[in-house]
Amino acid sequence: MTASPDNCGDYDCRVISHSSITEDVFRLRLESPEIAAHSAPGQFVQLRVTGGIDPLLRRPFSIHRVHRDGWFELLYRVVGIGTERMSLARPGDSFRIMGPLGRGFAIDRPFREALIVAGGMGSAPVIFLIEELVDTGRRVTFLWGARNSNEFFDLDHLEQLGVTIHFSTDDGSRGCKGLVTDLLTTIPESQKEESAIMGFACGPEPMLKCIQEKVLEKSIEWQASLEKRMACGIGVCQGCAVRILGGNYRMTCSDGPVFDLKKVVFDD
Amino acid sequence: MTDLSVTIGSLRLKNPVLTASGTFGYGTEYGAYIDVARLGGIVTKTITLKPREGNPMPRIAETPAGMLNSIGLANVGAARFISEKLPLLEGIDTTVIVNIAGNTIDEYPEVVRTIDHHPRVDGYEVNVSCPNVKKGGLAFGTDPRITGAIVSGVRKATRKPVIVKLTPNVTDIVSIAKAAVESGADALSLINTVLGMAVDIETRQPLIARKTAGLSGPAIKPIALAKVYQVSQAVSIPVIGIGGIMSWQDAVEFIIVGASAVQTGTLHFIEPAGVLDVIEGIEHYCIRHDVQKIETLVGTLAGD
Repeated sequence: MTASPDNCGDYDCRVISHSSITEDVFRLRLESPEIAAHSAPGQFVQLRVTGGIDPLLRRPFSIHRVHRDGWFELLYRVVGIGTERMSLARPGDSFRIMGPLGRGFAIDRPFREALIVAGGMGSAPVIFLIEELVDTGRRVTFLWGARNSNEFFDLDHLEQLGVTIHFSTDDGSRGCKGLVTDLLTTIPESQKEESAIMGFACGPEPMLKCIQEKVLEKSIEWQASLEKRMACGIGVCQGCAVRILGGNYRMTCSDGPVFDLKKVVFDD
Repeated sequence: MTDLSVTIGSLRLKNPVLTASGTFGYGTEYGAYIDVARLGGIVTKTITLKPREGNPMPRIAETPAGMLNSIGLANVGAARFISEKLPLLEGIDTTVIVNIAGNTIDEYPEVVRTIDHHPRVDGYEVNVSCPNVKKGGLAFGTDPRITGAIVSGVRKATRKPVIVKLTPNVTDIVSIAKAAVESGADALSLINTVLGMAVDIETRQPLIARKTAGLSGPAIKPIALAKVYQVSQAVSIPVIGIGGIMSWQDAVEFIIVGASAVQTGTLHFIEPAGVLDVIEGIEHYCIRHDVQKIETLVGTLAGD
């Protein structure tokens, strides 16, 4: 175990529980008092899938939920050999995990209402974000996109937190059929006092790009959490570069993963 | 007690394990995870005369037991390296080797002249082997005459030790190694990454924007080992072994075939504290095999 001035470290984390949301989406609860104590919404961890060399690299996952008493959770979809191996983990197994890493969402700004847009596994960090937002007295509207209705979770919890949710699904099984970004055209106009609103976006790059196009001319500030392939996770290897308007490349892992959405240059 | 210290030119390293260029930043980034002072030395990211922002994305991809990278020598440039990065290494008790590169033959000694006065610079590693840049890099390191010219230029610009980092992407690495030796190199380090490629067959897109890239990690270790063996047999200056070292066993293998020291690279991304296990493991191996000085283990392959 190694701790640091920035409260990040590399820890052996025991699996407390591992449950499936759908047949390929899993929620992994891991024991780590250190990561649980120091994480902020939007930060991520680097998980070593096996002790061996294949797959070789660690996998980045945003922190899904934390319990300050000693555990945190990851929400992930099985998409390749790494997540496939992960999905076999049982309670009592452990993973080597670095974290918390990166710069999370800036929620200490003076806004009263939060508008959150998330699609696919972009919903992973949103639960943690919403809990912190509600905790600090913000009203939350959540536009949530998924493949189908089975992929929505924690709905009772979100209802208790007073979150207004608008759903979209690829197959129309819940909410609006289509893209989550379609919901954006109606929602922001219904809000008053744009300066009091902060936008948050998490999801695949095409979704973020689409939101950027829709909100560029509006006065609401938007924070976006980016996904990139990573190797080191701490800014050393320079593999996860992202172009920020009017400047050089920044590193998704150490300068982000949260950036000012309007300044991200997609298709660079 | 085993004496783990090794000599590279006029440098005395406290142990034979250094961090490979491009995998350990400017030296302090991993300070949160390991005590950097326990390393035999740090080799910095490649420094060029002017800042470089690096190659377009995507720059990395995972392959079986390895990774491809095409970063493109992104770095802050010599001036900011001196003003912003070197001061961070002040007071850290380990050897600092600065890896350097240039767009032209003459740019190499120019980088040296810019930073040579700084007391924290203990020596240089000359990068004539980067596969991911348009100018220089691999084009230099595959030609013995150009390699020789660069090393001569650097040699004239400094009295500090000069290590030349070689590419495996050549027909005859020994001829390049000899050119570096004849031009005044104090040591050789090898191998840089192996030119590689990967493709997404659904989209037919290369996984790296510049298409080809440098392969590192355990996948290249046997290649590296053979090159280190060949070169160390042919030259009389120290050879530093690099390529896929993930464990102390890997490091000992390199030492046995002829490496006076080793560098760990991709390992840091996977296990930030793993390099310290490598150092400890080498020491335990020496104790178990009654090796009192690590230098006596170098080049002791059975049957040679």
